[in-house]
Amino acid sequence: MSMRYVDEYRDAEIGQALAGKILGSIEPGRHYKVMEVCGGHTHSIYKYGIDDLLPENVELVHGPGCPVCVMPMGRIDDGIAMANEEGVIFTCFGDMMRVPGSKKTFTDARAEGADIRMVYSPLDALRIAKQNPDRDVVFFAIGFETTAPSTALTLKRAKAEGVGNFFCMCNHVTIVPPLRALLDSPDLRLDGFIGPGHVSTVVGARPFEFIPADYGKPIVVSGFEPLDILQSIHMILTQLAEARAEVENQYSRVVPYEGNVAALKVMAEVFELRPHFEWRGLGFISQSALKLSDAYADLDAERRYEVPGVRVADPKACQCGEVLKGVIKPWECKVFGTACTPEHAIGTCMVSPEGACAAYYNYGRFAREKEVV
Amino acid sequence: MSEGPRHGCDHVEGCITCGDEAAAMRIERIDGERELALCVTEDGARRSVEIALVQPVSEGDTVLVHAGAAIGRVAEEVSA
Repeated sequence: MSMRYVDEYRDAEIGQALAGKILGSIEPGRHYKVMEVCGGHTHSIYKYGIDDLLPENVELVHGPGCPVCVMPMGRIDDGIAMANEEGVIFTCFGDMMRVPGSKKTFTDARAEGADIRMVYSPLDALRIAKQNPDRDVVFFAIGFETTAPSTALTLKRAKAEGVGNFFCMCNHVTIVPPLRALLDSPDLRLDGFIGPGHVSTVVGARPFEFIPADYGKPIVVSGFEPLDILQSIHMILTQLAEARAEVENQYSRVVPYEGNVAALKVMAEVFELRPHFEWRGLGFISQSALKLSDAYADLDAERRYEVPGVRVADPKACQCGEVLKGVIKPWECKVFGTACTPEHAIGTCMVSPEGACAAYYNYGRFAREKEVV
Repeated sequence: MSEGPRHGCDHVEGCITCGDEAAAMRIERIDGERELALCVTEDGARRSVEIALVQPVSEGDTVLVHAGAAIGRVAEEVSA
C-alpha cells in the first residue's frame, strides 16, 4: 500500500467531476435523503467536506452505525460493576472510556481505583490475562461484524490455549436488524443507503438485498475515501433516476459479495444471537446482538459475575435517538454544543469520535452555520 | 491515556470500535503455526495481527485489519 493508492481516492479534480455528475443525475425540485449507515462514513463526510460538494437538495442523514453511540447506559453500568470486582483487570477499547453510564464513566471508575486498561485488540487483553494468571481479565467486547471476528478468534485462542482467567462481556451488535427497524419506523423517509464498507467485508453485500427487495430502496456498499463516497452517492442517485433499486458494491476492491466465509464461520461457532438487545435511542430490537454460545459459556463474563442488569433511561435532554434515526440533525438537539460537547458529553453520539454529533462538532460547524442561514 | 499502541478515542484517526479506521497493513512476517503475522502500516507502525480469516496470505500482501484481526484482503489493482 503506497500513498499513491490513497491519493487516487482523494483527487480534488476527480471529486469535482463526480460532483458534476451527481448534479446531472438529480431532478431539480426533488429532495433526496441518503443515509450513511456507518459512523466511519459520517466522519469522512465531514473531514473532507463532502456535503459541501453536494447539491442543496441532496441531504445526507447519519445512521446508527456507531456501536458506541447505540450502547445503552445500563451496559456501561454492568461493565463498571465487573471492573469493581475484587482482583479484576477490566479491558476495553479507548473509545469506551468516556462513555457515560448512569452515574459514571470507565475513566471515572478507574480514577476511583478500578483496574481498567485500554487495549487495541482483544488479543492484547488475552496477553494481559496470560501475564496475570492470578487475576481475572475481562474484555468488554463491542462492535459490529467488523470487530466480532477478532473477538471470536481471541476466544477460540483462549480456549485452545487453556487460559482460564480470560472472560468476555459481549456487546457485539449486528447491522441488519437495526436497518430493518429504521426502515419500519414511520417517521423516517429515506431514498437510499450508503452501505457500511467494512461490516460488508465480513458479512458481504448479500444481507442487504432485503432493502431493495422489501423496501424498494437502493443501497451501495461504499469505501471510506472521499471519492468512494461521492461515487457511491452518484450510484444511488443514478439508481433513483433510472427507477432501479439494487444492492451495488462500490467497494469491490475490498468487499466480496459473499463476505468473509471464514469469519462468518468462526462467529457462528463462538456467538449466538440474543433474543433481543436494547439500542440506545432505538429501543429493543430482536436478534440484534450477540452473546457467547454455550460452548464458550465458561468464558462469558456475564455468567461469571453478578451485574445490576438494570435498564437505564436516556437523559431527557439528550436527543441521540432522533439523531440516530436521522429525524433531526445533531445541531437541532437542544443541548448540542452547549451542555453537550466532546469534553463534557451527555449523549453517546457526542462521546464517540464516530458519533454524528462529535463529527458535526469537530468538522461541521461551518456547514451548520450555512444550514442555519 | 497512553496505554496501547494507539488509543481509539482520536477524532482524526477514528474509532477502533467501529473499526472504520480499519488499517490496511502490509504483512512483513508470518508465524504460520500460531496464525499470527507481523504487519506494518503505511507510516511504519508494526502490530501482531491474527490472519486465520484471510488465509492463504503471503508476506508482502496487504490486508485490512480490524481490532487486531485481518478480515479482508485488499486487491492490488486500483480502479477509481
